[in-house]
Amino acid sequence: MAGDELTAVVVDDHPAVRAGVAHWLASGDPPIRTIAEGDDVRVAWLDGADADVVILDLHLGGATPALGDLRRLAGGGRRVVVYSMRADDDIALQCLELGALSYLTKAEGAQYLVEAARAAAGGRPYTPPSLAGALAADRSTNRPALSARETEVLVEWFQSESKDFVAHRLGISQNTVNSHLERIRVKYAQIGREAPTKAALVARAIQDGLISVDDL
Amino acid sequence: MSEQALLGRVLAAIRIVLLGVTAVLQASMSAAYLFGNRSFYEPRWLAETAFAALALVLVVAAGWILRGRRVPPGVALPAAGVVLIASATATATTPGEWYLHARHWAFGLTGWHLLVLLLERTRPVLAAFAGHAAIGTTQFLLVVPLNRVSLGETAIAIVSVLGFQIAVGLIVQMVMRRLRAMAATVTERDRAATRAALAEQWELDQRFRAAEQFGSVLPLLAGLADGALDPRADDVRHQCALAAARLRLLFAENDDVPDPLVHEVAAAVDIAERRGVAVSFAVSGDVVPVPTAVRRMLAEPVLTALSAARTRARVSLLRTAEEVRLAVIADSAVTTGSPSRSPDVEVTSDTLGDRTRMEARWQVTS
Repeated sequence: MAGDELTAVVVDDHPAVRAGVAHWLASGDPPIRTIAEGDDVRVAWLDGADADVVILDLHLGGATPALGDLRRLAGGGRRVVVYSMRADDDIALQCLELGALSYLTKAEGAQYLVEAARAAAGGRPYTPPSLAGALAADRSTNRPALSARETEVLVEWFQSESKDFVAHRLGISQNTVNSHLERIRVKYAQIGREAPTKAALVARAIQDGLISVDDL
Repeated sequence: MSEQALLGRVLAAIRIVLLGVTAVLQASMSAAYLFGNRSFYEPRWLAETAFAALALVLVVAAGWILRGRRVPPGVALPAAGVVLIASATATATTPGEWYLHARHWAFGLTGWHLLVLLLERTRPVLAAFAGHAAIGTTQFLLVVPLNRVSLGETAIAIVSVLGFQIAVGLIVQMVMRRLRAMAATVTERDRAATRAALAEQWELDQRFRAAEQFGSVLPLLAGLADGALDPRADDVRHQCALAAARLRLLFAENDDVPDPLVHEVAAAVDIAERRGVAVSFAVSGDVVPVPTAVRRMLAEPVLTALSAARTRARVSLLRTAEEVRLAVIADSAVTTGSPSRSPDVEVTSDTLGDRTRMEARWQVTS
């Protein structure tokens, strides 16, 4: 981590996507500098070993998604944002389970990717609308219990893609919308496989007063 | 199904007839020979015990058969063992010179008992008959003089008595197989007829709906043709967009796809995209079966909102175990028409600035 500046490494098998993502990240405010990019996950361990956030495409030429790579990165404490073509709920939930801080589909635009990268660089989760849909529709047996309000926030965010609309609809502030989304992610972090990123996420939520130790 | 029930009734009837025949044979012919010549069977009590055992087996079997059921395997197989032992015992009490004659009352009777117990079980029935023949043959060979004539007579007698009974058993099984095949054919034919009737109904319904939709399009087309409607007017363009989307949805309804709701909504999205509206369409949750009528009600608000969209829209479909929620957010400040109310589908509409959100929700009832 080089001073105040946030840095990223972009892993994607399409050069145009890498260039596009790097550009989006650089034009954000504050900008995120891409220190390495490549079509192989090795770049995240070598040239990009110091980057604050890893933007990872799940399909790196091979037929199977690079879930093993994601697991190793998250296990190594790296903050990963998965950026994938696949929009199915299962794979998104699986990535969260493995310790990814965010999951975005490539149908989602620059705004969400930049926000996700910035949040992840700071060790925070980010839930873009498509992921909110996956969480709202989650029927797996080990899913965490969400309150009615939390579910409603997920659904509204999935449907409207804009937090001001969610806030308007539910009669709450945008900050409350954000803290609901973060609480939901903390609940998800507490189930399933352990990963340093998930532990850090829960610890941070306690520090911020988002949840209390009693909630655990 | 009814064919299966019919098949069961035929089989039950065959079992009852077989039970009746066996009971009559034992009570009349076998009883007449045994009790008419009781002093010749030695020891007499053993012969009568064997007779009683065979009668008891029939009584026990009748408990199921008269109620239209088959004797359960847990009872039928041990009972068949009892029958074979009783038969061998009765043979042992019969004087050697009567073997295979009418006064050897148990030999022929045993086959009928075995059929009563094991009628529908091919392998057990064949095994039991083989056992019966083997025991009988052994007993004869120990008693009758071993010459060609007596051996020949023995073989002919055994084959003719047991052959007839086995044939009865096999014929019943063959008839049942045929009946079963016939029942399956009839069921399949009925199913095909039902499908055809449903398809016909569906087509009628589609024709009706198409006529209805075209009916609403015609005034629009006529208005455009004679210049009464101005294609530059927002209202006219909105009406055209709505009509096009409705027709497109109607065509999509006809397609046989695994996820009809997504297919139909995608068709509506497609129409909006052709108008130059940037639409994002997100789907979450597994496929839930939604009746056609409900799908139409769910899609209607989407059509309304999408056809009013100017440049951007988001369509989202969420399916959980409890409900299906289909929502549209479009950049159109005007809410076109009031949300329609129906008991099954709840439609809500909401506006913030220049964005309008419409949502249709359906509670999964089943």
